[in-house]
Amino acid sequence: MAYTTFNANQFDSTKEPMFFGQNVNVARYDKQKYPIFEKLIEKQLSFFWRPEEVDLASDRKDFIDMPEHEKHIFLSNLKYQTLLDSVQGRSPNVAFLPIVSIPELETWLETWAFSETVHSRSYTHIIRNIVNDPSVIFDEIVTNPEIIKRAQSVTKLYDELIHLVCVQNVHGYGVHNIDGIKYDCTLWNLKCKVYLTMVSVNVLEAIRFYVSFACSFAFAERAIMEGNAKIIKLIARDEALHLTGTQSILNTLASGVDDAEFKEVAVACRDEAIALFAEAAEQEKEWASYLFREGSMIGLNAQILSDYVEYITNVRLKAVGFEELFPVRPNPLPWMNSWLSSDNVQVAPQESEISSYLVGQIDSSLEDGDFDDFDF
Amino acid sequence: MSKEKPVAGIPRIKLGNHTFYYQYEPSLLDALETQEIQAPYSCRAGYCGSCKVRLLEGEVSYTDEGMVDLQADEILTCICIPATHIEIELPDD
Repeated sequence: MAYTTFNANQFDSTKEPMFFGQNVNVARYDKQKYPIFEKLIEKQLSFFWRPEEVDLASDRKDFIDMPEHEKHIFLSNLKYQTLLDSVQGRSPNVAFLPIVSIPELETWLETWAFSETVHSRSYTHIIRNIVNDPSVIFDEIVTNPEIIKRAQSVTKLYDELIHLVCVQNVHGYGVHNIDGIKYDCTLWNLKCKVYLTMVSVNVLEAIRFYVSFACSFAFAERAIMEGNAKIIKLIARDEALHLTGTQSILNTLASGVDDAEFKEVAVACRDEAIALFAEAAEQEKEWASYLFREGSMIGLNAQILSDYVEYITNVRLKAVGFEELFPVRPNPLPWMNSWLSSDNVQVAPQESEISSYLVGQIDSSLEDGDFDDFDF
Repeated sequence: MSKEKPVAGIPRIKLGNHTFYYQYEPSLLDALETQEIQAPYSCRAGYCGSCKVRLLEGEVSYTDEGMVDLQADEILTCICIPATHIEIELPDD
């Protein structure tokens, strides 16, 4: 069935699977199949921030005073983050929106991708503040072979899924040969691609991003580039929410409660899924040695960052029900937690929205016995 | 809503061989930290799942809504407080 922007069929969206059911018609949230997505949306909206809120004046001075090898670490890390958010700002929409079937998940995907565009805008804000000509940095993202290698891994599955869904839209389900290229658009293969793409997104958000956060926060642990760390802290707060979303989608799909066939898909794709985690961990370790090839910085070197890659990969594998790949070890960067905790994002109430303060959240449920212990 | 009445007196928290009184910290995680117990955490707001522990005995009440899939005996220490005497178990690593 070809995609339609407003499905005229009458149906109950709470009976639809997350993916490959009917196209969504009315964006309604009064009845929800998975309230988790509504909670994620609300939380994400309460997190809204703008890069310009953070003053970066002292970062410019810090950057100028840095030794060359630290400039290399800082800029390479920033370029990598820019790449990751460029991908995430558009891909969840392009890849998943045409195949999603429940309104709260559709809206979560859009809310999620939107917040990534705020992250992208904040990189421009950061780069503008530390160099005179931002083009020098942005242009190198597509020419630096180390970054290109990563770009290919993070986009491969997204692209394959998008191509298959496009072909399926025109030619329907089945295996199609177009200009000598075989496109397996069977529902089974499409489901495998969705599952693996979601794993690859989870790897991007939950491992790759966290490795880059470690570098950003390592500078701030030495009280330099603190404005940058403030922005990255806000980005990390959003990413923690996004990865909760992808983990929840993966666990729901694998459980089979949403769509029984996805349980078989998850079993069939298990090895490939674990290989995605392993590949990312390997690449991140290579990246660590690239970052520190001209010298380490106080508090962080290639070895510690590689240990962190192994630690965080184990944590993420466990969260989606896979076995750990690396020896179990305590967090090699314990100071990361104080940067990742959301209640430490300090803001004066008059300056911005407080994330924990929700408007219109009165518990109005009343039961027969609620006044029993009242004395009149 | 839990039908069980809260225990009279201050809830006790048991973790392995260590038992201590809850001192009305904002969360169970804070209570553990007051005792200098290294409990896992990350977001401290109920959405990352890092602070998941097993509740072996007793009940907790939540101060915020979690967003993480939990097994029946798992709790998120960053958004709950003890409602009764409780016994918990931290994850292995």
